[in-house]
Amino acid sequence: MDKKTLLVAEHIDKRFGITHAVNDVSLTIAAGEIRGLIGENGSGKSTFCQMLCGIYTIGGGTFTLDGKQLHIRNQVEANNEGISIIVQEMGTLSGLTVAENIYLGHEEPFMRMGVKDTRAMNREAQKLLDSYGFGQIKAGAMIDQYNFEDRKLVEIVKATYMKPKILVIDETTTALSQNGRLELYKIMDAVREDGRSVIFISHDLSEVLAHTDTVSVLRDGEYIDTIESPQVTEDDLKRLMVGREIGSAYYRTDYDDPVTGDTVLSVQSVTVPGELDNISFDLHKGEILGFGGLSESGMHEIGKAIFGASWDREGTVVLADGTKINDIPTAISHSIAYTSKNRDNESIILNESIRNNIVLPSLEDLANHGLLNGRKLTSFADEQAKNMQTKMQNVHQFVSDLSGGNKQKVVLARWLGKGSDILVLDSPTRGIDVKVKQAIYALMADLRKQGKAIIMISEEIQELLGMADRILIMKDGKVNGEFLRNPDLSEEDLIAKMV
Amino acid sequence: MEKKNKSNEQSKLRAFLTGDKFKAVLPLIGFVIIIVVMHIMTNGKILTPKKLRLLFSQIYYPTIVATGVFFIMTLGSIDFTEGSTLGVASIVISVLSFHSIPLAIIGGILTGAAIGALNGFFHVKFRLPSFIVTICTMYLFRGVCAYFTTESAVPASNAIKALDQDWLKITITLAVLTVAFFLFKFTRIGNDVKAVGSGETAARFSGVRTARVKFLTFVCAGALTGLAAFVNVIKVGSITSTAGNQLETQILISLVLGGLPITGGAKVRFTNIIVGTLMYAVLNSGLSILGYEPQVQQLIKGVVFLIFVALTIDRKALKVIK
Amino acid sequence: MPAKLQKLKGTRAYGYLILLAMVLFFYAVFKILTPDNFGSPANLYSYLQSSIIYSVGGCGLYFIVVMGLFDFAVGANVVLSSIVGVILSEHFGYVGFVVGCLGCGTLIGLLIGTLYNQLNVPSMIVTVGLMLIFECVAVFVAGGVKQTLAPELRFFSGAPGNIILAVLAFVLMYFILNYTKVGTYCNAIGSNEFTAKNMGINVKKYKLIGFILLHFFVGIMAILTVSYGTTMTALTGMTTMSRNFQPLMGTFFGVAFRKYGIPISAIVIGEFIISIIFNGFVALGAPTTIQNVVTGAALLAIVALTARGARGSVVK
Repeated sequence: MDKKTLLVAEHIDKRFGITHAVNDVSLTIAAGEIRGLIGENGSGKSTFCQMLCGIYTIGGGTFTLDGKQLHIRNQVEANNEGISIIVQEMGTLSGLTVAENIYLGHEEPFMRMGVKDTRAMNREAQKLLDSYGFGQIKAGAMIDQYNFEDRKLVEIVKATYMKPKILVIDETTTALSQNGRLELYKIMDAVREDGRSVIFISHDLSEVLAHTDTVSVLRDGEYIDTIESPQVTEDDLKRLMVGREIGSAYYRTDYDDPVTGDTVLSVQSVTVPGELDNISFDLHKGEILGFGGLSESGMHEIGKAIFGASWDREGTVVLADGTKINDIPTAISHSIAYTSKNRDNESIILNESIRNNIVLPSLEDLANHGLLNGRKLTSFADEQAKNMQTKMQNVHQFVSDLSGGNKQKVVLARWLGKGSDILVLDSPTRGIDVKVKQAIYALMADLRKQGKAIIMISEEIQELLGMADRILIMKDGKVNGEFLRNPDLSEEDLIAKMV
Repeated sequence: MEKKNKSNEQSKLRAFLTGDKFKAVLPLIGFVIIIVVMHIMTNGKILTPKKLRLLFSQIYYPTIVATGVFFIMTLGSIDFTEGSTLGVASIVISVLSFHSIPLAIIGGILTGAAIGALNGFFHVKFRLPSFIVTICTMYLFRGVCAYFTTESAVPASNAIKALDQDWLKITITLAVLTVAFFLFKFTRIGNDVKAVGSGETAARFSGVRTARVKFLTFVCAGALTGLAAFVNVIKVGSITSTAGNQLETQILISLVLGGLPITGGAKVRFTNIIVGTLMYAVLNSGLSILGYEPQVQQLIKGVVFLIFVALTIDRKALKVIK
Repeated sequence: MPAKLQKLKGTRAYGYLILLAMVLFFYAVFKILTPDNFGSPANLYSYLQSSIIYSVGGCGLYFIVVMGLFDFAVGANVVLSSIVGVILSEHFGYVGFVVGCLGCGTLIGLLIGTLYNQLNVPSMIVTVGLMLIFECVAVFVAGGVKQTLAPELRFFSGAPGNIILAVLAFVLMYFILNYTKVGTYCNAIGSNEFTAKNMGINVKKYKLIGFILLHFFVGIMAILTVSYGTTMTALTGMTTMSRNFQPLMGTFFGVAFRKYGIPISAIVIGEFIISIIFNGFVALGAPTTIQNVVTGAALLAIVALTARGARGSVVK
């Protein structure tokens, strides 16, 4: 390659508690290059870029831009060094005008002795918007007036007007219509023409291949390879993203253990506005039903819908005995358990003891004529926590002191103690180390044998393939594919239905 | 080296001062300190039987009110309506006391419960911060109270005034404390309220009917204030527009002095009520025995309040401090 | 027509339209109920004069409320600052009066902001504690006596003095919001504190600035308040709490209409609406004590309509 090197990342590392999100990643990007960055959920690609852009602190290693080592503490400093990012979520701030959003943190050029020249700022912002072809957006108007897509366009302007040396585009295209996407591709090309570089993150592999020069692949936080885009196919990329041999040992090994035909729970035409679109399926006794898809596919809402926790849910969730589940207390008293992906906020009360977390759903059962006996609660919690081999001093310890894996054990201990027959587990092994993962898989297999029904919602495809009797793949709030347990089923088959 | 040791010790001290253990015993230490200081400053005048009797006579109805507010603050919410509720309920009780005393008591409790229900409704249904809602309703019911007392104070019947007996007030107060303690410690109610206080979302996902728990807590706290109004009426006999003035501040300061973290949740203790109201009473009567003017008393209370909040608050429970 | 309205939606004009409709509605209601003693032009002018005092405080509170903070010490500071102003005016005339009010007000803001940042306690709690303290300080400063503003120093007590000062305050507010970083940053912090921090905004510094600005405006409000009423008595016992409400109502209007880009107009017109409702009840013959009831109910209605929490959000 004869192009000059623009960015060098050496031994970049990041841990979140026990999760090794980015593990010793080194790569270089040339000037005038559009680099695709791909990997499964949790592969560390977003975390990598957010360190580059000052959103997360760098755990280890160095970034060198144009021969200069970077020491970035926040996004503005990153901007000043010539790095900017367009993020997945809403990146504009309500209550500010369009121009204020574009120049937030960079007001200096418009300050005249402490006074902000708002008119000049609006004029410049409008010029920028016009030059990008986004003339329909008015610089002086409040950002709140505009819809999500227009706000994304403002973000694009904000991230690119200062002609950054490196532009990071993190999963932005999903929020854009076809027109918006075309605008974005044009901007990417312009950056390349200019001899600057783009890092482009997307799940849409055909899009990645069509608009990048090279593609880097990350997997489980590790750097795998970089390849020239024109020389590969989507299938090659998928193989690189997935291609691991590890893991199979944790999972169930049986492939011909039949599932009973007894329906325990039936979901009928469930719709949740903005999340789920007319979903129907049955769950059977002794079945592990897996749900897969991209994060925003609506699959995480499935768990809430079954548990009676969704807002404005339509359709019915009904048990074999005809009981309809419409709220959480009914769900719990009819033996449904739910563990959330958002464990620290929705599954567990952090500022509370292990004991009180475990006994909370079982208080009715533990009460004697409505009276609670503290000693009985403690011994109950102790027994359940120990069954799960929770590492703790005693059950009066606060949950906030525990590691991710042990928190999850407390969550599971609570529902096992409750004796729930239908377990809805959303991302049960998220942010959990290998040993606990193994224990959870073993537990699931065991529960299945006992005749309990499990819904496992997971962003990890291996996990779905390894554990589920049946897999439903979600896309845009709908079920887009159904697979039965089969040793020949591959990750590529599932991914094909996700994107 | 020495310097390092010193800074190490300092950080240890800081860890201790901000630690949970210290926070748990702080109210007791404070209580002892306040009693000792007051004892010395007043030359022992505060601990005479006569003064003690007076001191206790001041804490009956605040204790009843504080018990209800304790549950609200365990939720992590706050209530500024106690004073105005007490005023309105006292008026209702006084008027009804000419017909029948049981009716008066029921009327007072229902009035309190209704105001609590109004607070709870706006707080829960509209998802408005409780302090905004209760500040509004405080103003509203202060107005109601003033309206009915514009011409003259509202008198109560002689029959109800005849009930002004220590044993009755003690019985009511102890009964309220006992029942509340029992509910808090040995039934689901206490667990649910604490769970909402320490993690509302997770509590909801664990089957706690959070909206109902919050609403009913406000209703019950209002009802208790209504009951406290009865104790107030038998003591004062006629109701003026200032009835219950500043009671909300008194209760807030008392509970904070008792060590109740303003964030509510798992770290509340039932003893916060008792230690807090006693401490406030000792502080209050000590300051007046010492002959301080009301403004000086308020100044000292304000300073003590801020110090205790800063020491007892559970900052871990707050993601962003607003 | 509906299509045209649809197009207007979200623009400044739409915001003004709503406000205007509210003014007309309440005016019409009371005019129909009591045609004789309500709503003559002279009446309206006097409603406006009383409402602009609160509008000034409402403008100040906007800086704080927009960041999600609160301040219950506004009323206490109005009392304290106006007493300081009146006392200084006895020696230094207008200069003493204005500098006293503004200086004392601003210093209190500095104190509140610093304590809030240092103690790391919710602003609502800090300011409740400080309110108790400032009330006492005001009593000490006043020496327990009613302070009267000398008759020759009452330029701000009526038109045009009060209008001029209030308009100056609104212009200042407009300038700060639109022509300095402070306005932008306060809004940014309120919208998302984490993102704001990430954008390199020094959150603590701008919260402090917010409190200082608020209490500078409270200083102006103190000038107007004591000029309008000519006397000020310091009282303890949370009596100043009620002085927090009227400015707050305007602020809620401002926050609600922020999305139309017209917070200041919304504060001023909002206070005017409240004033119409108030005086409407008085015209109906309601006793003055019922005013508190109306204020409480009106504020409750305003927050219920404008400050509703998102579903599933944790509201304490």
